[in-house]
Amino acid sequence: MSAAQPDMNSAASSAQPEYDHAAITNILALEPQQRVARLVAMQPEQFESFIHGLRPVERVALNAGLSPELKLTVAALESPERVVGEELIAARLTRDVYSPAQLQEVMTDFWLNHFNVYLRKNEQMPYYLVSYERDTIRPRSLGRFEDLLEAVAHSPAMLVYLDNAESLGPHSLAAERAQMAASRQPNKKNVREGLNENYARELMELHTLGVNGGYTQADVTEVARVRTGWTIDRPVQGAQFTFNPNRHEPGNKKVMGQKIKDGGEMEGRELLHMLATRPATAQFISRKLAMRFVSDDPPQALVDRLAKSYLSSGGDISSVLRTLFRSPEFWSTDAYRAKVKTPIEYVVSAARASNAEIDNYQPLANQLRQMGMPVYGAIPPTGYNWQESTWVSTGALVDRMNFSLSLAANRLPGVTVNWTPLPDLANNGADPEPTPEQEELRLEPLLVAGGVSDTTRAAAIQQFQVQYTQDPGPMKPVAAARKQNRTANVVERQDEVLAGLLIGSPEFQRR
Amino acid sequence: MQMNRRFFLHKGALAVAGTAAIPSFMVRSVMAETANHPGRRLVVVFQRGAADGLNIVVPYKEKNYYSMRPSIAIPQNQVLDLDGFFGLHPSLAPFKPLYDQGHLAIVHAAGSPDTTRSHFDAQDYMESGTPGVKSTQDGWLNRALQAEDLRKRCVGTCEQHTAFRALALGNDVPRTLAGKIPAIALSNVNGFTVAGRGPALSPAASAFEAMYADSGDHILHAAGDETFDAVKMLRAANPAQYTPNPAANYPGTEFGNNMKQIAQLLKADLGVEVAFTDVSGWDTHVNQGSVNGQLANRLGDFSASIAAFWRDLGDDAGNVTLVTMSEFGRTARENGTGGTDHGHANAMFVLGGDVKGGKVYGRWPGLDNDQLNEGRDLVLTTDFRNVLGEVVSQTLGATNMETVFPGAQLAPARFLRLV
Repeated sequence: MSAAQPDMNSAASSAQPEYDHAAITNILALEPQQRVARLVAMQPEQFESFIHGLRPVERVALNAGLSPELKLTVAALESPERVVGEELIAARLTRDVYSPAQLQEVMTDFWLNHFNVYLRKNEQMPYYLVSYERDTIRPRSLGRFEDLLEAVAHSPAMLVYLDNAESLGPHSLAAERAQMAASRQPNKKNVREGLNENYARELMELHTLGVNGGYTQADVTEVARVRTGWTIDRPVQGAQFTFNPNRHEPGNKKVMGQKIKDGGEMEGRELLHMLATRPATAQFISRKLAMRFVSDDPPQALVDRLAKSYLSSGGDISSVLRTLFRSPEFWSTDAYRAKVKTPIEYVVSAARASNAEIDNYQPLANQLRQMGMPVYGAIPPTGYNWQESTWVSTGALVDRMNFSLSLAANRLPGVTVNWTPLPDLANNGADPEPTPEQEELRLEPLLVAGGVSDTTRAAAIQQFQVQYTQDPGPMKPVAAARKQNRTANVVERQDEVLAGLLIGSPEFQRR
Repeated sequence: MQMNRRFFLHKGALAVAGTAAIPSFMVRSVMAETANHPGRRLVVVFQRGAADGLNIVVPYKEKNYYSMRPSIAIPQNQVLDLDGFFGLHPSLAPFKPLYDQGHLAIVHAAGSPDTTRSHFDAQDYMESGTPGVKSTQDGWLNRALQAEDLRKRCVGTCEQHTAFRALALGNDVPRTLAGKIPAIALSNVNGFTVAGRGPALSPAASAFEAMYADSGDHILHAAGDETFDAVKMLRAANPAQYTPNPAANYPGTEFGNNMKQIAQLLKADLGVEVAFTDVSGWDTHVNQGSVNGQLANRLGDFSASIAAFWRDLGDDAGNVTLVTMSEFGRTARENGTGGTDHGHANAMFVLGGDVKGGKVYGRWPGLDNDQLNEGRDLVLTTDFRNVLGEVVSQTLGATNMETVFPGAQLAPARFLRLV
């Protein structure tokens, strides 16, 4: 405690270690602003005691009448990591939808999945992921692969997600000290520390060489030894990478036949360089890029060409992509709409196509969870699969159709779409209402790049007309203003259904 | 044209759509076809992430067990004894009565003979049913249904089968169910409807149906057909009326919810023959805990959900067989961070009315150094395909083992005779 605030806190906390119900009732009776101000002023222990002392009805009363900002303040007090996690997801989706640098966002998405980290690994992970996305992945998403690999290997997010932060060299100084301490206290329960090979395996299998990249179990264990000591400092205060020589396994190592001389942190860097420059890595990364941009089963000739570009450019991702985009396979008719959109591609492309104004990302994040692809929600280190077979199913289609109709009809709270410009109705509705055909022709090019098939178009219009003709009653002479409103509403409703059908159409499922 | 079930559902229902869903008397008549053939159902649960079999079915009399796992072993006085050598993790208490009643069997030291320690590859091999062969396109459970059809001489789409014949509770059709026989995936029974929940398909839903039905996109066309078949059937069956048995205490978890919905769909008589779901969180590299902790929590959810499912089905449980698996086991020794790393053999559970339970099957290989796989993991003594082969031949009548598990050379004579 600082000298400037002598006794206030301790006085407060000793006077009110627990909130009794009279105190709770008093706080709940305050005006929203003051109520939240009181919560903000509490010490953490006081707040804990207060919030856990609430009965369910009081829990409701606490939020009664609060503005969205004040509600967010309470939520942030109660569960800051949850709020950070939600903001992280919102920020990611904002860039996905609105960034003018779309290739960079596509590649950021690509690498975040390649170097997958799970949001709920522990309570600190949301904080780590903010930096992981912003500082580790995005700035390098079009740079050199080795730089990216290095940055990921130094990131608190990955070191914690794949348990490397806790891995300890069995013959390291720290291990020896722990053994001595344990022998002095024979009765204490023996929690041993030592090697953890989780990161070592995924580093080779998923990040670089691929599962058939030519390594053995012995190599995995050896890589785990190389990587000991790569850990984090101050885990609950943001976390920083640190190399702790006391935790590092001493001695020379040998990985895939190549000797790595005893050298502390340098061993790890040597290893990463070796992995980044292997032909197996070039093949593995190239195939994955071709699968992202061309098809689920890309031609080997294309993959070979990309791998060659990878090796000759020193693993420069932009060079590999340039080769990819200039390849005939990329432009071939076979590759046209060969990929089924993943849920995040579907939701983001729907929001982009409809030019949605998004004030609240929660409905989109919820949709992605419902569709089986929550942002930062892949538990296994493989990340999400991008193949068609994973994302085409009955359940998936139901979700997509419902989402498209909700989005187009403004039924997602905080997400606004607008299908105007409406036709000129200024002449008191003298113009005929636009027909479904006319509106379809206007909306289709806005929504579906490359257009839809005749059958899709016909289905959209025809079903619409069934409803249309069932619309009751001939037009009676009414006041011009009323007629104009009616026309506007009818056209709006018609546009909502048409747009929903186009976004849910088979053509919009592909890219 | 042959009036098969898919045709009926697709075209027949369209004819009456717009006014009401399929009339109930017609539903009953189609249902009768499935009801006729003795309704053995198979439920498959995949524990993704490699569950630690040695702390699930604990070899508490194995002399090396306690020395290899100093901080995570389950003390002998805490295991739920099964046979004087093995005992269940205490969090599997809901399984104990099922074992004692003879419904639950265990196969220990079982799994895939492939030695990969990659989660992805091992799951892929286990789901395709062809360890070591990457080119396999379909999953073993889909092929089991194909084998059933072959035996009944109705290759391709069998008339009596419904859109719900092969069901996955989850967002996608898993590899296990991929293949020629259409399979459906749904994660939420109540949400499984397009554009509103009224008695009839809305105009928007009908437009979607026509779009996908007429689409030249084969993949999406097929998925669309299956989707609308299923949506209409589900509407007609109204599964909301099948609430869980009050005595079935499903945990409020994703897995508990999935098991609850499988029970609901089985009770709704939609023609479900096989159902699949998975449960994750088993990759316990760090602080997996012992009697309490991470693994204990997973096991509590796992066993309570399955036991609730069993109780929920009541008399119908006799027709159901449930089998569990995980891609590989974990190291016999605990690692340096209070957890375990990727290992080899594991334990499988088989639960069912016809199961000869109350027994731990399989040869126990021991945990001496020279008895371990690569000096670190439990050796495999039962190929998982041997267990599944017996289960599908007994439940689905899928007896052509070369179809279900090509290359495995399974011989019924070598089955464990646990069903």
